[in-house]
Amino acid sequence: MPVSLDLITGALSFLFTILILSYLIGDNPLFKIAVYLFVGVASGYVAVVIFWQALYPKLFLPLWQVALTADINRGLFLLAPLLGSLLLLFKLFPGSSGAARIVMAFLVGAGAAVTIAGALSGTLIPQVNATINFFDMRSAAARNISAFEALGNGAILLLGLVTSLAYFHFGARQRPDGSAKRFGLIEWIAWLGRIFIGITLGVIFAGVYAAALTALIERISSLVNFIRVLFGIP
Amino acid sequence: MRILTTTIAIAVGLLVLLGYFFPQASVFQLILLDWAILFSGVAAWVGIFNLVMVHADKVRRNAKDSVYSAILILGLLVTFTFGLILKPQHPYMQAFILNGIIIPVEAALLGVLTVTLLYAAIRLLRRRSDVMAIVFIFTAAIIFLGSVTLPLGDIPILGTLIRPWVSQIWALGGARGILIGVALGALTTGLRALFGVDRPYGGA
Repeated sequence: MPVSLDLITGALSFLFTILILSYLIGDNPLFKIAVYLFVGVASGYVAVVIFWQALYPKLFLPLWQVALTADINRGLFLLAPLLGSLLLLFKLFPGSSGAARIVMAFLVGAGAAVTIAGALSGTLIPQVNATINFFDMRSAAARNISAFEALGNGAILLLGLVTSLAYFHFGARQRPDGSAKRFGLIEWIAWLGRIFIGITLGVIFAGVYAAALTALIERISSLVNFIRVLFGIP
Repeated sequence: MRILTTTIAIAVGLLVLLGYFFPQASVFQLILLDWAILFSGVAAWVGIFNLVMVHADKVRRNAKDSVYSAILILGLLVTFTFGLILKPQHPYMQAFILNGIIIPVEAALLGVLTVTLLYAAIRLLRRRSDVMAIVFIFTAAIIFLGSVTLPLGDIPILGTLIRPWVSQIWALGGARGILIGVALGALTTGLRALFGVDRPYGGA
């Protein structure tokens, strides 16, 4: 019988699923083998993807083309990324890792700018707009939602938003005995915020648990299917 | 060195940020982000190389559990070598590495999480039975019971009225509060790095 690619994939998948699920009877060498091998394989895969998606097209290929065409202008333009990449390699040597600080500063600057833009345009503005839209009576009427229901739901949502934010306010006044205590009103609002955060985390927990349960069922189903296919059981 | 690194961080940050607001500056933004992607890739390679070094050191010292470190290095080197030769999109790489090892292990680990999460929820109630814990478990129970399909059909009211109301109104309020809080935190951290108040690249 010729060994097909699907059969080998199925066998590997079967083996690693069994090794990982063996954790359910306790931490054991089989589980450790699977996890360590997984970390190694995943790291190797990430390194390869980085090479083919970033390093090769953005550095090695242009450098190769410059070497072939002897284009000085393009070569000068590649000097900064080449130098930066070489400086980063100094991170491997503890004695000279300070040389990589310049590139790390570059990454922090670029990362900070992307974070600011992302937080503003990706979260803050859309979330605030979506909260405001909850009080849009015309939009609610178009969806056959009564004004009372829209206002009630909007008020609950706004209350949850404000009190949850207040929960993360940690400004406090120092007492004469040295201990710190939040302001009375903030403390009260934060207590209400805890209820909303508890509800939110409960819903997230249920969602994650449902996803985990689905994954477990899928794995068990794949084990059963592999055995059925292997032994020709209908 | 400190002044140089701070100047680079601020200049790069401002140029990238300007690209979002002024189309004229987007040329610089694209070049800088291209370089940032390249440097991030090299930094990830440095990290992976460091992982190999740490585990190779364990194998060399014949430390406890060094056999697992040897397995990790072997897996990494084999994947890396074949990946460099074949490229990640090659059918063999997809079949053996991605569909044979990475995806099944990730799915099985997620499956193991069902037991771990259940155990954690029980421990939470036993160790900390305050208002937040009770609300947390009660909400999770409502969502489960409201979502489950029983042999006799869905549970009336709970599945059709209460579950959507809790998840789409009450939980949404808390989730938006957390999200906006995270965004405000990210914004502040980004601004502190951009103004040179925080210097995580060293030279404080």
